[in-house]
Amino acid sequence: MESSPRPPVPLGERSDPGRRAHRRFRDVGVPLLFLLPALVYVLYFAFYPSAEVIYLSFQTPFQHGVLTNYVELQDLGLVTAIEDTVIVTVGALAIQLVLGMAIATILTKEFRGKGIFASLAILPIGIATVVGAFAFTLIFPSVGGYANSALVGVGLPSVDWLHPNGRALLTIMLADSWKNTPLVTLILLAGLTTIPRNLYEAAAIDGAGAVRRLFYVTLPNLRRFIAIALIIRGISEFNIFALPLILVGNNPPLLTVLVYNLYSTTPTIYQSAAAASVLLGFVGVFIAIVIAAGGTRR
Amino acid sequence: MKLRRVGLYASVGLLSVILLYPLYILFLVAFEPPRYTLDSLFPRQLPGGFTLTNLLTALGSFDLIDPLVKSLEVALLVAALALALGIPAAYGLSRLPPVLSYGITTTLFVVNMMPAITIAVPISAEFISLGLYDSVPGLALLQELVVLPLATFILVGAFQAIPREIEWQARVDGAGLLRTVYRTLVPLARSGIVAAFLLSWMFSWDEFTFAVILSPLKPTLPVVIYQNLTRGNLLATTAFAIVMTVPVIVVTVLLQRHLKGEELAGGLRG
Repeated sequence: MESSPRPPVPLGERSDPGRRAHRRFRDVGVPLLFLLPALVYVLYFAFYPSAEVIYLSFQTPFQHGVLTNYVELQDLGLVTAIEDTVIVTVGALAIQLVLGMAIATILTKEFRGKGIFASLAILPIGIATVVGAFAFTLIFPSVGGYANSALVGVGLPSVDWLHPNGRALLTIMLADSWKNTPLVTLILLAGLTTIPRNLYEAAAIDGAGAVRRLFYVTLPNLRRFIAIALIIRGISEFNIFALPLILVGNNPPLLTVLVYNLYSTTPTIYQSAAAASVLLGFVGVFIAIVIAAGGTRR
Repeated sequence: MKLRRVGLYASVGLLSVILLYPLYILFLVAFEPPRYTLDSLFPRQLPGGFTLTNLLTALGSFDLIDPLVKSLEVALLVAALALALGIPAAYGLSRLPPVLSYGITTTLFVVNMMPAITIAVPISAEFISLGLYDSVPGLALLQELVVLPLATFILVGAFQAIPREIEWQARVDGAGLLRTVYRTLVPLARSGIVAAFLLSWMFSWDEFTFAVILSPLKPTLPVVIYQNLTRGNLLATTAFAIVMTVPVIVVTVLLQRHLKGEELAGGLRG
């Protein structure tokens, strides 16, 4: 936030300590009072349950302060769930960056029908995640469905899109990328509009082709915006829940789905609290890295 | 040059098909006789007929009204809370010295990124004992967590765009601080406030994680869709999905001007 100009202070008041305290209260205390309700609410509802979930994860009905839940989680597929979540996160980020870059680049050009295409480009934001997930269950089921009907139509064999050998993860990546590429597009588009046009003209005069301009002009200038998109989507990607739950469910479960399954099928909360703590740990590490790297500083 | 034009239109066409396809399939299943869609192993890609029977049957035999009302109530409460907490918070944030505002922005960013499911799991037990389980206010209070940081960041942008001289002028004219904020600044930040309200409404309308854990017995629309899908009521799922989608498309079109990368970036700046 840029430092804002202050209201003029009459000469006689400037050195008076009482007045200075008053000014301090006005400049810092009053804004903090305005922020107080939101902060109290957020701290109570976000940080208190997080602390509680970690505390619960070290308990069983009979013991306190033990690692039993974490040990049991290893037999319940924790490691595979972590691996799968990482694979989906990396894959979906790659797809979203490439597609988002392509769509944002197109939106910087002038062509007939651009208005309609701009609306289509953000359309998935307006489709609820569960609705999108349902549509993708119709397109990518185990047997038959719309994707296979297209494959069979051109003479290719049909595919089990939900096969747990990794194809299910690919299906999650594709569906998630459909839903979330628009956010990446918007962020990258905001970045593209900050690159001065004459940089491209200069590069073109110097004989740089389209590919060289992409790698030597566009991408370096977009670095910060790409970082923002990667951070936002990367952390959110770790948290995706409705989509993998509806598309592939427990076969194989991502980390969030594992938490939910433990929550809804085990008689106590402790194992799901342990799985939730693992998820929280990963997200916490990401957030810490982002903050250490400068994060929200403007 | 001509070749490049062709390439551009070809990519626009291809990407448009990808962006529209899932929605197109949803409408096919909703408005075609099931023999062309759900009952067919390899359903045809092009429309083969038109019927309203699917939707009318589904809406006649499944309770749509309760989840719809619940979703509307929760979303309105979430949006109203976002303004009630977000407007003062955004005013305060836009007036704080940079050191403090940085810390608070970071806190809000962290909250925005927190996994909903790790919050929902321990809270569910508390809500049962507090009587907030399955209730409208209970669900709204938790969905607010996702919404409030984004709403606040949008509102901060709106307040920062107002010259501070206007605020001082109001104070010099004798208006108290609250009066200045709510009578002078809020009207000037109107378009940002509308955007924050609609975006909050939309997030709540779409929200699934908190809803499925904290309100499974009196579900909102997304949870009803999930429940019908797992029970194999695909036509009911389709009908609910259509009901759920139409209002959001309207809101998205209204919001289009405000859907900017900067504002959705959760407080991160380029």
